[in-house]
Amino acid sequence: MRKILLLLLASLPVMAFAQGFQVNLHGQKQIGMGHTGTGLAQDGASVLFNPGAMAMLPDNYIQAGISPLIFKSGFNPSGTNDAYYTKNKIATPFTAYAVWGPKSSFWKLGLGVYTPFGGLTDWGNEWQGKYVLESLNLKAIAIQPTLSIRLADFVSIGGGFVYNIGDVDLQRAIPLANAAGADGQARLKGSGHGYGWNAGIFFKTESGITVGIDYRSKLKTTINNGDAIFGVPASLATSFPQPNTFTASIPLPSTTSLGLGYYPSSRWTLAADVNYVHWSVYKVLAFDYAQNTSALQDTYSPRNYKDAYSLRGGAQYKANDKLFLRAGGGYASTAVRDGYVTPEAPDANRYYFTGGLGYKLAKRLDLDFSFEYEKLLSRTQTNIESQLAGTFKTHVYIPGVSLAYHW
Amino acid sequence: MKNFKLSIYVLLAASLAACKPSIETPAPSHGSADFSRYIAVGNSLTAGYADGGLYLEGQQNSYPSIIAKQMQQVGGGTFTQPLFSQDQANGSGYLQLTGFDKTTGAPTTAPVTTNLAVTGQVTIPGFGAVTTYTKYTGTDLNNYGVPGIKLAHITYAPYGNLNGFYERLLPGAEGTHTTTYLDFITAKPFTFFTNWLGNNDALGYATSGGAGDVLTDKATFNALYSGLMTKLTASGQKGAVATIPDVTAIPYFNTVTVAAILASVQKANPAVQALFINAKSDATAAGTAYAARPATANDLIVLTFPTSKIGTLVSTPAGMLPYGLTPYSPIENQYVLDANEVTLTKDYVTSYNNTIKSVAASKGIAVNDMYTFLNNVKAHGLVVDGVNLNAGYISGGIFSLDGVHLTPRGYAIVANEFIKAINAQYGSTIPLADAASYRSVKFP
Repeated sequence: MRKILLLLLASLPVMAFAQGFQVNLHGQKQIGMGHTGTGLAQDGASVLFNPGAMAMLPDNYIQAGISPLIFKSGFNPSGTNDAYYTKNKIATPFTAYAVWGPKSSFWKLGLGVYTPFGGLTDWGNEWQGKYVLESLNLKAIAIQPTLSIRLADFVSIGGGFVYNIGDVDLQRAIPLANAAGADGQARLKGSGHGYGWNAGIFFKTESGITVGIDYRSKLKTTINNGDAIFGVPASLATSFPQPNTFTASIPLPSTTSLGLGYYPSSRWTLAADVNYVHWSVYKVLAFDYAQNTSALQDTYSPRNYKDAYSLRGGAQYKANDKLFLRAGGGYASTAVRDGYVTPEAPDANRYYFTGGLGYKLAKRLDLDFSFEYEKLLSRTQTNIESQLAGTFKTHVYIPGVSLAYHW
Repeated sequence: MKNFKLSIYVLLAASLAACKPSIETPAPSHGSADFSRYIAVGNSLTAGYADGGLYLEGQQNSYPSIIAKQMQQVGGGTFTQPLFSQDQANGSGYLQLTGFDKTTGAPTTAPVTTNLAVTGQVTIPGFGAVTTYTKYTGTDLNNYGVPGIKLAHITYAPYGNLNGFYERLLPGAEGTHTTTYLDFITAKPFTFFTNWLGNNDALGYATSGGAGDVLTDKATFNALYSGLMTKLTASGQKGAVATIPDVTAIPYFNTVTVAAILASVQKANPAVQALFINAKSDATAAGTAYAARPATANDLIVLTFPTSKIGTLVSTPAGMLPYGLTPYSPIENQYVLDANEVTLTKDYVTSYNNTIKSVAASKGIAVNDMYTFLNNVKAHGLVVDGVNLNAGYISGGIFSLDGVHLTPRGYAIVANEFIKAINAQYGSTIPLADAASYRSVKFP
């Protein structure tokens, strides 16, 4: 009678994907000051932080920086003495900005190339959550041409169009053992693009305080025809047709920022930023496979993110004409509700400390270093979907360096 | 500038060597129990039987061995099992999945017949043929799981001659054994035990469709279980027992269904209205009357039923008739656990479980309620570490190819249920096993 059995495979749990993966490494001077910059006109990074401030920059800029990011996460499954750690992998968020306008003109043109979102997490293929996620490498690169106009001595505005290129490579194990007892493997790999915009306004008040407001729009990035690669035992190959493709859409949320700059003396710059990230647009993660079978269905996975905010503060001290010291810190709330935490970026409320050094190599050439330590508060969770239960603890270490030429 | 170069190197070096987040795991504790010598008492499930046989890989993934491995973190000692040798790793032989039928998608299996530990067959007078296996010669033994044993057998002195899996554990020649199972397991001192006996007292009857075996009498079960537990706790030992699963929760009875057979028959012959089975007339143990009647969804067909028999012409008093399709040529008793037999079996299992729970309670012993657990799995499925499991055949991930015994992942889940019950009873913190690291059914 086994003849008439239909084989229904353990259905694939939906792909875990994408959370807490906003990258905020957008300029070494700003990182050093706790990621503040919306209310300052520091350098070319204003293209991102506040295009409105660009026209207030005294110089033209061309600059580039890199912030190698080491994400260290550990997981202790509930009721066990086991501990699993992510592998040592270094992600490389980078920035490149150019700002140009005729000297003393009321306008400036800008171009920014930066990494607004990304994630690199590799738990390996032997950990308890391997059926949820083995590794994720998510990269987004945004290109933003920008125009800024000084309306008056005390106010300027700016805006830019954002073209975003997204790239994802996700791997997980499939609970189908082959004759040797080894798991099947799933890999989703693809790239896509999206559009958005970034606009801001910048004021110099009579009290000497500078104020900036910036809005970076949602970047709805769609991956079309990504490769869905499944390695399963030969007898099940027809259930996982190859080649196959998938389509998935990820809304990268909008961010609204308000920033203040205060200059108590010629040596000191103090800054504060508040950011509101509209993560609640991220309701579901759906994967649509080009070829479906009874074992390979499209997936529809609730995410139900909530909006998140961050509070940031920082200071810069000009030690002498060549040397600048910076420090800052902040707190960011998690977008991920209880029950939805997944291993690709085990999000939690986090706080961070930053430090930086700026050195003028020459009159027109700035070399800046930054370092950031982020601590995600430990979070004990049972994921609603996967039932993976345990405690995540995460630290992030981010050194960085940039070079800026201005004239 | 040199200093800056230096500082970036320092920063990079510091961050690369940066310490991992420290994970603080709970301090392991044995609570009020002593795990220094743990023994496992039980049947095939305890031995690690899987895929219709006892073989090395199954033994190595038995739930007692998984529990023992976890216990070692809280003072557990070494745990020795009567393993088959590498040369005879396939033990009694077992079923392997060979593929899926191209047109129906149905799984096909084949027996593994190489590298067996079978030494021969001996005919025991008054009983029949007993297959014997290469003896286990080790001096130490912690896993006393014997496939096929019933609670009803544990005080029967000649039992060693009737069960090759028990015989291989005993010193001496086949035909001469006189050691009862109860005496055998309690001969050496121990500090902790698990006891999952009793399944076969109901399962033997059920898997034979109520035809080839009998249910152990309820009072006999109660007396034997009390006696067993008294002896196991004689020196104040602590332990855990497990209840007996509802036999109807296993794929052996839920895979080949009346509706599925009927549907495939109707494809060829739409005029067929019903399947006929030879069914028990009442739900009492004493009743012996059977009569043919149309099958319903409450009648359970066994996994091993050869469906090709359906419709073949068989000789009956009314002439040559298609098998299973008329009241004169019903599906034979041994292939069906009919509705009355189901009711009877359930009644006995409930009674056995009441005995198990009340005896355990009276002795302060932990209870792993596998009856409730597996019924929940059957009703709702189970998600573990991102794997969707259920009580289905092959696809469910918990049950092995015989539809009764478990996969290594299934046994790991059982081990974790034991561990949870033990920790709750004795205040210990035996860490749970990682079920994701154990496999389900192997696919070619």
